[in-house]
Amino acid sequence: MNGRGEQEFRELFEKFLDSKEAEQAIEDIRKGEQILIEHPAPEPDEQVVGNIKAEIAKAILRKKATAFRRRAYKAVAIAAAVILLIAVGVKLFEKGNGEPVRIVATSIIPKVVWESGHLADEDADLATLTAEVEEIESEILAVKFGENGGNGFTDLTELEVELEEINSSFWEG
Amino acid sequence: MAENDDLAEIIIGCKRGDASSFSQLVDMYARRCYGYFYRLTGSRDVSDDLLSELFVKLVERINTYKGGAFEGWLFRVASNVFHDYLRGKQRRERMLKAEKRQIESQAVGARQFDKEEIDRLQERLGKLDEDTREVIILRFYSQVSFKEIAAMRSEPIGTTLSKLHRGLKKLRELMEQKL
Repeated sequence: MNGRGEQEFRELFEKFLDSKEAEQAIEDIRKGEQILIEHPAPEPDEQVVGNIKAEIAKAILRKKATAFRRRAYKAVAIAAAVILLIAVGVKLFEKGNGEPVRIVATSIIPKVVWESGHLADEDADLATLTAEVEEIESEILAVKFGENGGNGFTDLTELEVELEEINSSFWEG
Repeated sequence: MAENDDLAEIIIGCKRGDASSFSQLVDMYARRCYGYFYRLTGSRDVSDDLLSELFVKLVERINTYKGGAFEGWLFRVASNVFHDYLRGKQRRERMLKAEKRQIESQAVGARQFDKEEIDRLQERLGKLDEDTREVIILRFYSQVSFKEIAAMRSEPIGTTLSKLHRGLKKLRELMEQKL
């Protein structure tokens, strides 16, 4: 135990023991460590040390190779990302050559109808359409349940055509 | 101080991956680390392996050393290497126990081999409990401050201090006993 170590022990022991006991404890430690000094452990063979140094050299090479691979992968990934960015940029640039497209949003439903609480009452066309749709709806139901006694498939096709006509005439105004 | 500067230079070299710096580190610490492993295992062959493992591990981990007492850091790695070995040994022993007949022949062989190898101190150290033995050996070979040893072992300083004191006292009593 060197001087610094002894001082450290004294300070520590005096926290737990009175000074006489602390002194005894330090003496026990000093004598105990003296046994270890008097019985040195064997030393490693020179050959073992040589082998370790060779192992270290191999480990350094492995570490450098791994670091190089990691850097290379990183560079490739960055290059790929840059190429992708450029490609996207070029594409956007090409699209951007023409006049900017002006988008105008507007409603196809008249304002009066839109704000009304009773749509069908406010708009005559819409009222007609609603009535016709309701009529076709009841006819479809009748066909579905076989109440009209006709050929279901043909009737349905006719109704479909009728619906198409109503739809287009409504939007034509 | 000059010694500290030299060590700092060597460590910088190691961090750069310089083989000759590592070689200097081996020359500086191989004996102490070997002593540490030998006193804990009692086997030269195992100590050879653990010493090799320690220094190869240093190559991988040297960049995790961020200053402070290098010996403290080094022996912390050494202690981890030793505990990994212990865990592996316990696993192997459990596997051996599964094969009863084999274990008997192997245990006898191992006992004979150990007997030839160990010195008197080693035999007496073997009579201390594992934990106490480790505190004594760590303190002696690492030469780091006691506070650091307690921190390395994650236990209150009073506990570590008491283990060291009682352990060394017991070791002296055992050494004074006639065979």
